[in-house]
Amino acid sequence: MLRGEHVMARLQRGRLVPHRLRPDDRPVREVAEKLIGLYADHASARGTRARLEGEATLLEEEIGPRLDVRRGFRIVRALAKLLEERSAWAPPTEADPYTLRTRLFELAAALPELPAEGGLLLEGSTRGDLLLQVARETGLEDPASLMYADRQGAQVLAGFEAPTPEELVGRYNVAQIQGVLYGARGLTVDLEAGSDARLVFHYVKTLGLIYTVEPTRKGHRLRLDGPLSLFGGTRKYGLRLAKLVPGLLLTEPWELHADVQWKGREASLELSSETPGLRSHYRGPAEASPESEGDVRGAFEKAWDRAKETGGWELGEGPGILPLPPLKTALVPDFTLRETGTGREAHLEILGFWSEKHLVERVALVREAAKRGHRVIVAAPESLGSSPEALRDATEGEVVPFKSRLDVKGVLAALGS
Amino acid sequence: MDLTYDSGTLVVTVTGGPPPPEPFVWDARTAQWRAPAGAYREVVLGLEASGIEYVDRASRTEKLRLESRVAMEPRPYQREALGAWRRGRPELRGVVVLPTGAGKTAVAVSAMEKLGRSTLVVVPTLALLKQWYSVLQDSFGHDVTVGLLGGGYHEITPITVTTYDSAYIHAERYGDRFGLVVYDEVHHLPAEKYAVIPKMLLAPYALGLTATPERPDGGHERLPELVGPVVYRRSPEDLAGTYLAPFETVRIPIQLTAQERVDYSVADAVYRDFLQKHRLSVRSPEDWQRFIMVASTSHSGGREALLAARRRQELRANAERKGATLERLLKEHWSDRTIVFTKSVEEVYALSGRFLIPGITYETPARERKEILDRFREGRYRAIVASDVLNEGVDVPEANVAVILAGSASRREYVQRLGRVLRPREGKRATLYELVTEGTGEEAVARRRTEPYAASAGAP
Repeated sequence: MLRGEHVMARLQRGRLVPHRLRPDDRPVREVAEKLIGLYADHASARGTRARLEGEATLLEEEIGPRLDVRRGFRIVRALAKLLEERSAWAPPTEADPYTLRTRLFELAAALPELPAEGGLLLEGSTRGDLLLQVARETGLEDPASLMYADRQGAQVLAGFEAPTPEELVGRYNVAQIQGVLYGARGLTVDLEAGSDARLVFHYVKTLGLIYTVEPTRKGHRLRLDGPLSLFGGTRKYGLRLAKLVPGLLLTEPWELHADVQWKGREASLELSSETPGLRSHYRGPAEASPESEGDVRGAFEKAWDRAKETGGWELGEGPGILPLPPLKTALVPDFTLRETGTGREAHLEILGFWSEKHLVERVALVREAAKRGHRVIVAAPESLGSSPEALRDATEGEVVPFKSRLDVKGVLAALGS
Repeated sequence: MDLTYDSGTLVVTVTGGPPPPEPFVWDARTAQWRAPAGAYREVVLGLEASGIEYVDRASRTEKLRLESRVAMEPRPYQREALGAWRRGRPELRGVVVLPTGAGKTAVAVSAMEKLGRSTLVVVPTLALLKQWYSVLQDSFGHDVTVGLLGGGYHEITPITVTTYDSAYIHAERYGDRFGLVVYDEVHHLPAEKYAVIPKMLLAPYALGLTATPERPDGGHERLPELVGPVVYRRSPEDLAGTYLAPFETVRIPIQLTAQERVDYSVADAVYRDFLQKHRLSVRSPEDWQRFIMVASTSHSGGREALLAARRRQELRANAERKGATLERLLKEHWSDRTIVFTKSVEEVYALSGRFLIPGITYETPARERKEILDRFREGRYRAIVASDVLNEGVDVPEANVAVILAGSASRREYVQRLGRVLRPREGKRATLYELVTEGTGEEAVARRRTEPYAASAGAP
């Protein structure tokens, strides 16, 4: 994430266009490569933070203006900030600088006069004597230089996860959009058919946002803000709304709209999954590994089609979003099952990966949905979680366990019960 | 009905019966009745008065047995201030206005002791965070661990100190834990961003402390709603002579060396040319901001002007003779308690290494900071050097000599820094040295700093 002062955008008839870099632009590539190179070199040389910052400033002055006369400095600084997120820093010495300096201060304060550098010709330097004494005590060659070795600037770059120039520029473009959202009071997201609403609600819940949902022609519209927004708009949740964006970028299609305050003026930001060149740096929650889940779902659909006996139930597309507002989240089942004779309905959600805590929460959601008249059956694989016993205990038998693939019989049994 | 706390708000679950009274509003988003957590006191009093049955699952505040270990005979005005706060309308809510150096912290410590509730202290700077940590640890540390939130610390205990910035972000997670909230330098609270903080805290009791509640934007009018009304007020004049120690100011002019003078005039010419070309004049911090903006967006010469401006300041601040003069002063006052102020953090570390005296900046860890100041107080350390951290009401007891190196032109800052050596101590005569570089703009800065204050400055 960028600091406020790195955020740049253009205001065009009330609409904000966050600053963007083109990864195929030669000067941009060059700047990205040089910066990544600087960090990588520093990591292999275990250079100090102060030196890296100094060199980054020089680089800023050298390549910044070539990139953009006015804003080059800021762009380079912003890129460096994003590389900082991929850096790990470590202390430069095993000696404890605190103990060292405290010893020096105590010895100095015990002297009858200030430990001067030069002193009179015959007296010699009391400061030098003192440093020598401490060098002997600690075995450190130059105690004065290590007095403040625990300062941030003295830390050395111990690890750096180098991105490609394209990755860095992509991260920059998303970070600028996020920066604009720091000033947002709320966010409207139109999730269109085919987008992974389950994934979106995962982020909505973990970020502690509050939503309302309404159906639209193409899918669903989410309005997002926070608990206190009820009492007059606040920009307190801007940072969290910004953190949602990389989550959104893991799926498509969607459109986003936000009213934000930009330099004291009201403006709006609009964005969609069609906007080119945006890539998420989030890895997605563990549960949402689309391939494996997709497999299980597809396999279940096939198994259902082949099954001789389905007890009068028909398998259809999922119902979309079942909102559960007090729990700040929603259920997004995969399928809806309908009993032909009675018209009874039940929804089926197939989980990919799960943990015990995750399942307990899921069961709470199922109960909340039941209160609202929705019957939801959750199926979870035994192999990916802990033991089958743990699964049964955690969920009090409300989850259908399966081995590698979910079979029709198990689901029918759950429907019958 | 059931009352719960949810992320800075109060939520009511009604099982049958009428909807909860104001200030609850229906939250259609989550289908619940919701109110800001700050309304907790009003809500509970309202429910009690109307005899509605309710279960309070919101408040997780704690009763504490707090007995300050630091023996303190409160000064009469401190006792009056506490009494006025306790008897205020509404009681136990309000702002106490006392001049810098008059012991506002002591008022808060007594209030905490009397009330005996889990307490959150909110302060504007990391320096104050560490200062309060130190005071509270001394007073109550034997009974309660003091927690810190902000500046890299994230430890919540029944007595926690935090910054306005951290409270803005995190209060909603911990806003159910504290019965009392103390806002230090409470004039920061009405800022648009920070005014959200009291909304997220259910603390029924609040104490605001400041030397100057008035804000140029009129925000102080919101204080009654945010913390309570001003319940007690004393000006420096009210307390001068009796409670604030007399001091004298000595201004020492510093001349640049020949080489420094040449460098300075070159940098100065570049800087002034740019100002003239863009018809700018720099007389206030706002002007300076404007210069930075124009220079950083200018196509030609802006960058050079910025560098020249920086070089000018460096020369002025780090003039060689300044260092030598400081050395002389430290020598002369080696048996006094001396505190050196400088503007730059790097300079603190440089001087600390040069004279082997402890340095304090915003980077100094809370525990070490406390140790240094404790030892300075006991006389184990003779001198310390500090950057801006000692601003804004951070107290350095027992200092009787202060040296200012390269201060800025803010009057408030100056007054508050003076407050540090104003700490009363028997038979104490404080001296404040100001080292001002000659032939540069710094003289004007020093003059400007004193002027509005001239009438009341100096030995009373």
